[in-house]
Amino acid sequence: MSETDKYYVERCLDGHPDDFRHLVKRYQAVLLAHLAGKLGNRSSAEEVAQEAFVRAYFKMDRLKKPQLFFSWLFGIAERVAKEQLRREKIRQQRESIRSFTEEAQRPELSQDYALEKAIATLPEAYRKVILLRYYGADSCSRIAERLNMPLGTVTKTLSRAYAMLRESLQQQQQTNIYEVQK
Amino acid sequence: MNCAKCKELLVAYVEGLLDESQTQAVAEHLKNCPSCQAEMSELGRLRDRLVGNGKVLARSNLEDEVMNRIIREQKSRLKKSSEVNRQYSVWRLIMRSRITKLAAAAAIVVVALVGIHQLGGPLAGGTVTFADVIEPILNARTVVLDFIVGSEETGTVMQDLIAGSKIRRTFSNMETILIIDIDNAKMLTLDPVGKSAVYMDIQGPLQEGTKSYLGLVRDIVSEIVDNPNIPVQGLGEREIDGQRAVGFLLSEPKIKLTIWADAETATPIRIEMLMGQTRTIIKNIEFDVPVDESLVSMNVPAGYTLDEQEQDWSEFNEEDFLVVLQVWAKYVLGGKFPDSISLEDLMNLASQLTNMAPRTEDEVHQLGMSDEEQARLGMAMGRGFVFFQQLEPSGADWHYVGKGVEFGDANTAVFLYRQKGSDTYRVIYGDLHVEDSAPEDLPK
Repeated sequence: MSETDKYYVERCLDGHPDDFRHLVKRYQAVLLAHLAGKLGNRSSAEEVAQEAFVRAYFKMDRLKKPQLFFSWLFGIAERVAKEQLRREKIRQQRESIRSFTEEAQRPELSQDYALEKAIATLPEAYRKVILLRYYGADSCSRIAERLNMPLGTVTKTLSRAYAMLRESLQQQQQTNIYEVQK
Repeated sequence: MNCAKCKELLVAYVEGLLDESQTQAVAEHLKNCPSCQAEMSELGRLRDRLVGNGKVLARSNLEDEVMNRIIREQKSRLKKSSEVNRQYSVWRLIMRSRITKLAAAAAIVVVALVGIHQLGGPLAGGTVTFADVIEPILNARTVVLDFIVGSEETGTVMQDLIAGSKIRRTFSNMETILIIDIDNAKMLTLDPVGKSAVYMDIQGPLQEGTKSYLGLVRDIVSEIVDNPNIPVQGLGEREIDGQRAVGFLLSEPKIKLTIWADAETATPIRIEMLMGQTRTIIKNIEFDVPVDESLVSMNVPAGYTLDEQEQDWSEFNEEDFLVVLQVWAKYVLGGKFPDSISLEDLMNLASQLTNMAPRTEDEVHQLGMSDEEQARLGMAMGRGFVFFQQLEPSGADWHYVGKGVEFGDANTAVFLYRQKGSDTYRVIYGDLHVEDSAPEDLPK
């Protein structure tokens, strides 16, 4: 698990497809956290994450900078998620039986859907740092390396991201209270 | 240290990224500042929440599912590519025979010319200027022109050199050369790549219809000239290829013919014809250019090997057309019928087929088809082309409905036609079985 992304990417291209497993292990939680918040549904998030990994695997020969695997994978996941949302929208239009709030509060979503949703609404630069720090369990210096930015920028970004998360969580709470009162 | 500075350093402090003196300063400030303490514990709660959720998600296990999907996908990709390869090789095998290649090229061409005898009926109307326009068409000894079937963008361009009753024809998208002797109902087909040649007998229905396209125009034109009541409609002036041109439209129930001629010299510049569902265009026309007789010679050129068997194109039937549909849908398109079938589509298919390079003897043996079988299949295809293309000129009514139909689908019709004078339609289904059907019982 301690090898770099570049190492695993090159191994895969070199005829060791099973090494792709390490990359899945490394980034699955990061993708899931991001996607669960975005899609509002744990099973869709898993589906999209899997699809993103599979697509990434088959497109790996087109990845020009293997050290930037994460950002590239993230981009693929974003595209798959968009497709999924489009399908989901069509499906919902077809059977608009359940309201969105019911959909969003289904218990199987995940432990902390409010948090995931807050993360999903962060601007991309902040979101990536949060995802890597807590879902990829990377240290700040590792994140600096992965995203190719100075360490000071990582802590500043984290700091700003915390503030935005708190604000967003607070807003969600207020909306919920308001809805309950209604 | 003030609160602003403390809050700024808080994250780095929590992450343990500050140097010793800064760490101490932050710790000192926190001890005495309730506001920063609150901030610190707020941050702590958020971090705990993030860490907790992160741990839950980290327990998920997508690896096995992802790896399984990759393996499945890998297998299905391999299978697909080997299927495509197999189909490709069968197709190449069929086209391996040089007779087949020549036949396919020849067939489309011969039939492109069918249809002259179709024309008939009285014509009415007329102008003097039009007579000037048609004069060179009627009297030119040699003509060079480009002949396009279908649209100018996608259709095959045939370059014709016409000298008396002989035509030398080359193509924009294949190497084949044809020399057609209309008077003697013979055609010499040359493959300059394989250096092979074959004579074809074009007697019968083909001979009847085989005249140059220009011959057709001539026939129409002379009929108009002989008839004082000509239905010529003036189309006025237009610029064509940078030349000022005058247009004339001749309308007949089955044929629409438009001729554009130079406004000053009255020389035809462009001729368009719409016959049934087939559109053809003639352009870049030059009259009375000197022609080297050897270009239209019916003798086999030096260096070419002549196939000893002369090909007979006097007969063709529905069976042959079924072979075309089979090869097209099953081998070329991998199991689906084409979106459309037109003369243009067939010409493009023929050029694809003739451009296939032969494979090695070993591969041919592995596929287990003898030379005779290959040639038979190829010839049947050639005749199938002829069959299709004579439908229109012979007055048959036909409709292609095979778009999106899977090869082998016994319940869906792909092609229906009714020969002139017949009461019933022949309906071809996706599995290539054929049924007779009264017009009122036709599949939707």
